[in-house]
Amino acid sequence: MDFFKDPTLYNLVRGPFVYLAFIVFIGGSIYRIKTFLDLVKKDKTIMPFISLKSALRSILHWAIPFYTVNWRRRPVVTIVTFLFHICLVFTPIFLLSHNILWRESWGISWWSLPEWIADIMTLIVIFSCVFFFLRRVFAPEVKFVTFDSDYLILLLSLMPFLTGFLAYHQMLLPHKTMVIIHILFGELMLIAIPFTRLFHMFYFFLTRTFMGSQFAHWGTRDW
Amino acid sequence: MAVKGANSSEKIISREFKEYVRDPNPDPGLDEAIKYLTPEKIEKAVNSVIGNITARIKAVMDTCIHCGLCSEACQWYLSNDKDPTYAPVAKMRMTMWELMKRDGKVDAEFIKQCARIVFTECNICHRCSMYCPYGLDITFIIGLVRRICFLLAVIPQRQIDQAEAHMATLNQVWLSQNDWIDSVQWQEEEVGADYKDLQIPIDKEGAEVMWLPLGAEPKTGPYHIERTAKIMMVAGVNWTVPGRDTWDSSSMSMFVRDFVTMQRIVRGLYDNAARLRIKTMMLTE
Repeated sequence: MDFFKDPTLYNLVRGPFVYLAFIVFIGGSIYRIKTFLDLVKKDKTIMPFISLKSALRSILHWAIPFYTVNWRRRPVVTIVTFLFHICLVFTPIFLLSHNILWRESWGISWWSLPEWIADIMTLIVIFSCVFFFLRRVFAPEVKFVTFDSDYLILLLSLMPFLTGFLAYHQMLLPHKTMVIIHILFGELMLIAIPFTRLFHMFYFFLTRTFMGSQFAHWGTRDW
Repeated sequence: MAVKGANSSEKIISREFKEYVRDPNPDPGLDEAIKYLTPEKIEKAVNSVIGNITARIKAVMDTCIHCGLCSEACQWYLSNDKDPTYAPVAKMRMTMWELMKRDGKVDAEFIKQCARIVFTECNICHRCSMYCPYGLDITFIIGLVRRICFLLAVIPQRQIDQAEAHMATLNQVWLSQNDWIDSVQWQEEEVGADYKDLQIPIDKEGAEVMWLPLGAEPKTGPYHIERTAKIMMVAGVNWTVPGRDTWDSSSMSMFVRDFVTMQRIVRGLYDNAARLRIKTMMLTE
């Protein structure tokens, strides 16, 4: 880590903070899943009903757009939701800029997205966040159950992508400054995952397992 | 009927949620019952139900992303012109989320509002779970709030009346065991006039099938019993009815989350089955 030789802000966020972010994200997530599963085992009425086959069926049906009834009833929400999540997950993993950093630090690299595709995917994430924001403000059934924290996690999801896009295209602020802000937001988002509703990314598999099994026990599907 | 503003000019608007506007709906089960509540009783009841956060509660509370996609599943939401306060997630927000946020320190008026929402604006049908992208068990949360209201005896009068029938007689129509046997024997007489040797066995040990009627049948639809007897005779089924409680498999107690009576009902069914050594329980309801 260059930070200890050359203590600049860039080296701080590029070095120690990356370790911190990933340790908190991975360690925190494992801890949260483990404590949740411990609670599940304590409730003796859950495990006997869990069926792997129904769980997989449930997860599959909800992980494919337009497969379940509610996905079909809300085509716009469905399309935006799926595009948002796919681009959110795969852009950081296959971005060339990130790949270069991995190679600098650990000597490893993998396939990268063409830059223009990465740009489009980033813009998809940005516009999806705007869509979700508008939903929260203007759709009555969403507005009624929206809290400040909902806007915050939406902002937290938006900022790494917005600042990344601006940094790459060298807009608004000097490149190095924008990159530092981008890295900080990325780390903030990772750290926030085990502590906020962003953790739904893992809960999805657990709750779907439960409800898929529950409905299978009743002899039907969970749509 | 949920047509707002048709006849009454006076509306009820929730103190906590301004969008929650309803017609007044006087119900002694709610209005009279809350007079007996104290803040201590309320807090104690809430803590006994959600003081210890279990996996099921945590799963719903932590995962719900407040997306509102459950709304269009709910017939209450759809039939009330998509009023957002009828959405499943909204029902949770107005009851459980508020109870958790305030640690159970709420007043009697708030409990009455909760009772109105979870007893008369949700019928625990599970459609919301079918529309939720996570498959969250929203009805479980509604059921927990019903349990809190039950512990505080704040329940719509009609519902607690029906649950009391189960509490007192283990059936929904206030029949004593004698009344039940009388009804069965009366029906046997009625149909015996047309069919020779037709019997309705009561407490026949070793029968294949133990038949249980719809809860209301012995009182308000007894002819169903004689029709079943004819079917069983023609089909050649070796059947019986139990001669003692529990002969009614319905459970209004479940709707008000009366766990003790729920248990007594189910145990009574299985006790009869074990006592009579039958192979199959045939439930109408």
